[in-house]
Amino acid sequence: MASREHLGEFEQIVLLAVLRLGENAYGVPVRQEIEKRTRRSLTVGALYRTLDRLEAKGYVVSWFSDPVPERGGRSKRYFRVQPLGIRALRQSRQELAAMWDGVELGKAMHGR
Amino acid sequence: MAAKFPRLIVLLFRLRFLRSADFVLGDLMEEYNSGTRSRLWLWRQAFSMLFPGTAPPPPAYPQRENKMNFFTSYGSDLRYSARTLRKNPGFTAVAVIAIALGIGVNTGIFTVLNGVALRPLPVPGASGIVSIYQTFRAVGRRNVHGAASFFSWREYRNYRDNNHVLSGLAAYSPFLSVTLAGDRPQQLFGQFASCNYFDVLNEPPALGRAFSAADCAVMREGAVVVLSDNLWRSTFGADPSILGRTMVLNRVSFTVVGVAPPGFQGTEPVPAAFWAPVTMQPQVERGVDLFAQTETSWLVFLGRMKPGISRPQVRADLAVIAGRIDRLTPGRKTTLQVETATYLSLPEARPYIAGIAVVLLAAVGMVLLIACANVANLLLSRAAGRQKEIAIRLSVGANRGRIVRQLLTESMLIALAGGALGSLVAVWSFDAMVAFLFSHLPHGTPPLSIGFGPDIRVLSYAAALTTITGIVFGLVPALQASRPNVSAALKQSGGLSGKTADGFLRHALVGTQVAVSMVLLIAAGLLLRGLYLAQTIDPGFEMKNITTVSFDLRGQGYDAARAGIFQNQLKERLAALAGVDSIAQAWTTPLSDNHRGTGFTIPGQPGSFAMEDNYVSPEYFALLGIPIVRGRNFTATETRAGAPLVIVTEATARRFWPNQDPLGKIVHMDGDSDFQVIGVAKDAQVSHLAQSTDTYLYLPAGPKEQLHMELLVHSAAGFPATAQGIRAAIHALDPNLVVDVARLEDNLEFWRGPSRIVATLAGSLGALGMLLACVGVYGVVSYAVSRRIREIGIRMTLGANARELKSLILRQAMRPVVIGGLIGIAGCAAVSQILKSMLFGLSAYDPIAFLGVPLVLLSVALVASYIPARRATKVDPMVALRHE
Repeated sequence: MASREHLGEFEQIVLLAVLRLGENAYGVPVRQEIEKRTRRSLTVGALYRTLDRLEAKGYVVSWFSDPVPERGGRSKRYFRVQPLGIRALRQSRQELAAMWDGVELGKAMHGR
Repeated sequence: MAAKFPRLIVLLFRLRFLRSADFVLGDLMEEYNSGTRSRLWLWRQAFSMLFPGTAPPPPAYPQRENKMNFFTSYGSDLRYSARTLRKNPGFTAVAVIAIALGIGVNTGIFTVLNGVALRPLPVPGASGIVSIYQTFRAVGRRNVHGAASFFSWREYRNYRDNNHVLSGLAAYSPFLSVTLAGDRPQQLFGQFASCNYFDVLNEPPALGRAFSAADCAVMREGAVVVLSDNLWRSTFGADPSILGRTMVLNRVSFTVVGVAPPGFQGTEPVPAAFWAPVTMQPQVERGVDLFAQTETSWLVFLGRMKPGISRPQVRADLAVIAGRIDRLTPGRKTTLQVETATYLSLPEARPYIAGIAVVLLAAVGMVLLIACANVANLLLSRAAGRQKEIAIRLSVGANRGRIVRQLLTESMLIALAGGALGSLVAVWSFDAMVAFLFSHLPHGTPPLSIGFGPDIRVLSYAAALTTITGIVFGLVPALQASRPNVSAALKQSGGLSGKTADGFLRHALVGTQVAVSMVLLIAAGLLLRGLYLAQTIDPGFEMKNITTVSFDLRGQGYDAARAGIFQNQLKERLAALAGVDSIAQAWTTPLSDNHRGTGFTIPGQPGSFAMEDNYVSPEYFALLGIPIVRGRNFTATETRAGAPLVIVTEATARRFWPNQDPLGKIVHMDGDSDFQVIGVAKDAQVSHLAQSTDTYLYLPAGPKEQLHMELLVHSAAGFPATAQGIRAAIHALDPNLVVDVARLEDNLEFWRGPSRIVATLAGSLGALGMLLACVGVYGVVSYAVSRRIREIGIRMTLGANARELKSLILRQAMRPVVIGGLIGIAGCAAVSQILKSMLFGLSAYDPIAFLGVPLVLLSVALVASYIPARRATKVDPMVALRHE
């Protein structure tokens, strides 16, 4: 079912990160990718809370891999963007592009 | 290479999320173990999962219910409460100060009790030192030199040599008073100690040496002495060559072999100036050989437990020895008391101290209660202001427990702040208070060696009290405020009659405050009245212009004959002084803290009686203005011969020979002979203030008693001149005597001093309680008035006049005050019996106190209610009507 909600700014960033990483989209690389590209520091708590919200809305789906010895015998939780999520991303990009259209930073007049 | 992953984080995660967040742990491990992340980073990440701030926990993770909510949201509760308190600085300040006052006085009193009775001695390894006392049943004659629970020398040797649980057992005799010879002879308090004393206590002298076994080897030998640091500094000017010098104590030469470490003053409340080997006792205390008397209690035991031994083991092992001793004397049954040594381990003192402690703790507990009621009221008022918000939260399904918990957090914060503040102030001001206390003790009281300072016990007490206080004053308002009485709260509460459930609660709190303050204040009133009585009481004998003179003849080596000569010569000289018109001798002067007693039997009456007796010269009665109402006085001849005659007091005669003529009757002194009654003296409070004892006998001061006689000198010349003359006369006869010259009236100080302290304390606490209660009353009435502003406005526009309104408000405000007051009066009447012993004969139901105090309290409460009531009627009705 089509969601009438719009993506928040941070939700977009997380979705994009998961999309970029493809097969390798689990906690550690997603966080590192976001930190590297946006130069924000991001805690695991904030990340997973957002991912949970996205999963609740149906934008992503997650599953657990087999236990991995390097992680003290704990599994990894992988994420994949669902079609619903793709649609939401596309909508966000269109909206943002529509707002950016014709805007030149530096020549813009300050609000009057 | 990164350090090992902290197990604590794993544990916390497990606790919080069970296993559902293991993958997050895995993420953290992966990154951390790669070595690129710091420990700080790791903990911040962990915190972001464990304490998600005010964001609700993600629904995907199953959690254990209440425990986990508590754990995660407590942090947010704390932050929210702190913010709320910060936003209302006035309210917070009042609440914190009230709690600080309550907890401060409690901490102060507990510090005293701790220092006196709970703290171990200030020596190394004090927890391993035990004091040992004995109580026995069914034993024959036992002489007591100090306290009955002390031991004899033979018993000491027995316990010392036959126990298996102590690495050392020391004994000492605490009540040793000697004269130090010199240009200005002075009186010193010291102790006889067994030669292992300093070893057992593990306090080797700072200078020189302690006693060696050789010092105690031979009776009457071993004339060495260890000085206290204090004595060394004050009397010997910290002379570095003190070792080897000679000191003359009671005319016996001692060689100084050591100086104790600074701060060590023995293990008794009265500091010891020196220690001498116990074998020197017969030399120093001439005429009294405590070693020879096998049934004399005179030694205190201090033992150091062997490592690994516990107190019950010590008790058991020593009980075996006690049993063996018991078997030697059929019928004797000894019970030992083995406790960690404190300054006041003496069993005879325990019940007395315990009694005082209970009263003190009750009094300060009441002040704390009043403070709690105050703060509870404040909290209720504030919560009432948020009633709408809370009701809305409840109606949309918020967890009531959560709201209660959040309100309780506020209370705990207030309690913590108040408790910390109060305890700090108490600890800092402690020395000042102790100095104040000591300035009010009777003259001649030696300074105490007990140090009072905060230690772990005091801190734990303060912490526990703070926690309990927070719960006590916080729980009820929290429960009340979060009551799911939604509909009433959502409407504008109160209405015209002002009756609400929490209004009742608030009035009940005020009533409680008033009741408790009443108890405190009436108690204070009784004590103050008693004190006044003590100042003005007529003890039944003359006290003015009489000087008491005492000196230690025995310590200076006098025997009875020489003492007799000395006393006669002194009397002649004193009689020649200007202004002196009467001189008398007495063993104990009236109302001194010295009480002599012996056992007496009366032919024809069963049982033996412990009676107080006093040896006096015939002039005693006339000098003090005590008439002989029947029979006659002793004659000079009879006195000189030490005739076996006795004069009884009226009360004694009434008790033992009711409706008979006491003259000619016989009393038999235990261990002595028969005495015949020749006269009856008028009752006078010569023994205890406000009590005329019914077991008091006067005996003539014969030659045998001359060693112990004190003098009473009646002179019109004024005290300073008389004292100087007396001192000069004595000095002329024997310059080595230490003389104590004082006004007879000073003896009264001994009785008044403690009472003055208690009255001051009670008065301060009572005033504090009243202040808090009045603030409480004012607060409640103000609040009630502010809630009814609208109603007041309506009434005024409808024509009610200000006076009617004021009286309406006042009546409603004073109702809980009056009820609380009545309860308080009843309560105080119930407990005033406890104070009886400090009241000097004042009735425990003294009407002036029981009427006067309530009047004062009620008037103050009336004023506290009147102010807001008056303010209310001054409000412009139009403003009032618009008031929300």
